[in-house]
Amino acid sequence: MSTKIKLEPPPSSRRNFLIPTPCVHLTDFKSRHGTAPFRALQECLRVKPLGRAAIRRDPPEEVARCVTCGGSSRSRLYACVTCAAVSCHVIAGEEEHSSEEKMGGENEIAAVSIIKKVRSSSPSHAAEHAEEIGEHSIAVDVDRAELFCCVCADQIYDCDFDAAVVISQTAACGGGSIPAPPENLRKRRRVDYRPWSPDPHERVLITRSSNPLKQLSETDSMPWGLRGLNNLGNTCFMNSVLQALLHTPPLRNYFLSDRHNRFYCQKNSCNLKTRVVGSGNGNRNLRLCLACDLDEMFSAVFSGDRLPYSPAKFLYSWWQHAANLASYEQQDAHEFFISMLDGIHEKVEKDRRKPQSQGSGDCCIAHRVFSGILRSDVMCMACGFTSTTYDPCVDISLDLEPQQGSSARPGSAKSHHSCNGEANSMSSNQTCGTSTLKGCLDRFTRPERLGADQKFFCQQCQVRQESLKQMSIRKLPLVSCFHIKRFEHSCIRKMSKKVDRYLQFPFSLDMAPYLSSSILRGRFGNRIFSFDGDESDATNELSSEFELFAVITHSGKLDAGHYVTYLRLRNQWYKCDDAWITQVNEDIVRAAQGYMMFYVQKTLYYKASEKPVS
Amino acid sequence: MCLQRTRSFRTQRHSVNRPPTPDAADDQEKQPSLHEIINIKMIESGEKERLMELLRERLLECGWKDEMQNLCRTFIKKEGRNNVTLDELIRAITPKGRASIPDSVKAELLQRIRTFLVSAAL
Repeated sequence: MSTKIKLEPPPSSRRNFLIPTPCVHLTDFKSRHGTAPFRALQECLRVKPLGRAAIRRDPPEEVARCVTCGGSSRSRLYACVTCAAVSCHVIAGEEEHSSEEKMGGENEIAAVSIIKKVRSSSPSHAAEHAEEIGEHSIAVDVDRAELFCCVCADQIYDCDFDAAVVISQTAACGGGSIPAPPENLRKRRRVDYRPWSPDPHERVLITRSSNPLKQLSETDSMPWGLRGLNNLGNTCFMNSVLQALLHTPPLRNYFLSDRHNRFYCQKNSCNLKTRVVGSGNGNRNLRLCLACDLDEMFSAVFSGDRLPYSPAKFLYSWWQHAANLASYEQQDAHEFFISMLDGIHEKVEKDRRKPQSQGSGDCCIAHRVFSGILRSDVMCMACGFTSTTYDPCVDISLDLEPQQGSSARPGSAKSHHSCNGEANSMSSNQTCGTSTLKGCLDRFTRPERLGADQKFFCQQCQVRQESLKQMSIRKLPLVSCFHIKRFEHSCIRKMSKKVDRYLQFPFSLDMAPYLSSSILRGRFGNRIFSFDGDESDATNELSSEFELFAVITHSGKLDAGHYVTYLRLRNQWYKCDDAWITQVNEDIVRAAQGYMMFYVQKTLYYKASEKPVS
Repeated sequence: MCLQRTRSFRTQRHSVNRPPTPDAADDQEKQPSLHEIINIKMIESGEKERLMELLRERLLECGWKDEMQNLCRTFIKKEGRNNVTLDELIRAITPKGRASIPDSVKAELLQRIRTFLVSAAL
């Protein structure tokens, strides 16, 4: 009879992982010995490159053996934390080494008799040890450096022990060379959201300075802001992205709250150096500002007018910004998206004349909304030394998982059965046969072995070594844009082709497993420890939850295709096909071929403003 | 695991240091099994560690590890987080785990072990 270990968040939980309540034996042990035994264990910790920790005495190659039976081949050997006696552990009733029966000859008798012995007597010598000596119930797995309670027959967890292990592991990685993450602004304190409503004076100002929107007609059931965009000649690539951006909540709020007033901006631009357009056109409309054109579009689209809008002015401005793409040829929507964000940023930066770090998102609204920070770790496979870099990103481009069928697996038929009922949790497409967005993200954050021809110079070894590279997300943006690389370029054939394979994407997405803190934690054996990016804020859990609000789909071939955007407003889906907007069922969206998916943080948090209230 | 036994192993078995007989009450002298002997030799030479790393890599590549994690999650969800011990979990997934290892991985490891045995016998 064993006591089950209960999992409960401790009362003052400020971590995004659960610390299991210790069993009575662990509590008892700690009250008697404190943390000294765990710290003493640190001396016996042997950390292999890439973090695997084991408990060994000197000499390092000494084979750990059970003091009771002398065996060393059991898969689990436990060292008593109190007296260092090593015992083997066998699960009650489990048959071990049944293959010994296959051996023929005189050894067979010996083999069979050993098995008989195992079954008849109490199998776990570790449990026996704990029984014999009452206070020796806590042990540590010698090969895994994990705590075990021999009486409860279950794994136990302790912060002090885990801290000791992680410290040894990070020291072995040449730790301490991690650069400070780029958003090293002084942390602004979090404040509660306070809804704003105008006071009487402001109310007067508003009424005087604005024109009321016309009321929507009785028959109009569509939400505000839905308006078709005319195709100006193969411009569906632009229309599809614009529809998504027009309904990106933080971006929409920004422009509708008049945070970029196009009249004011244009007036101001007179005084600043402007981009010269063409030759001899010095007078007319030279103050190129994509944000102003976007502001105009927001006003038009949210005016209540349902006639399709022609984004000609925007197109013209964008052509001026991205001259190399100025044509009526078909373009790539993702390329346009990047170019547009860049355009908004460039103008703003020019005005302010001081470069801001993109990662902090303080430079412009485009980066405030879309910019996140990616962390890249390159680990030397010989010594474990890790080199870390941080890079800002406005989206994440994901490879589609490779075609299934590369590994022959006799067991896959069985496991197929178990996965059918677990559509959400299944992330390995090789079993189920369907690519999922989560599967792509898993692959994105999986450690990747850099080939022998890509040896990385290790600072600790002072020589080029084979390395492991792993990506993770250090800071999530407000809006995550996932771009699926559906265009394959074959260097051999010197042509590109489109990959039409279906990709399943969820409507709600939790990004927590892809954060740097989670990835790091997994790398170090899922220890109870605060890792890079773990903010001591219980609400951190919420800010990794995202909701899908827009999907851009592509149909057709590489050079001749059509983009369509699906928007989710008030939990209804609308198909935006250039000038035509129709309400559709969510199943249509689920079945669509996603090219770009937009997710917004479910809960937004407000930080105290740095600007004094005027 | 089916092993080729050779004369050299029979003679070698006697020369291996036996662990001290721990229990006076235990009459039957414990002979280290062939399994034990090979295990010790592999640990001492460092081969076991290399093979473990190789195995981990192969099982990760083919998705076996992800499958096992999902099986664990399913089991824990079914039984209840607070009602599962480590032993119970291991007992539940081990048969499926052993059965779903790809043949290619088994073959590769067996080949490595055979090579090791041959070189160790010399």
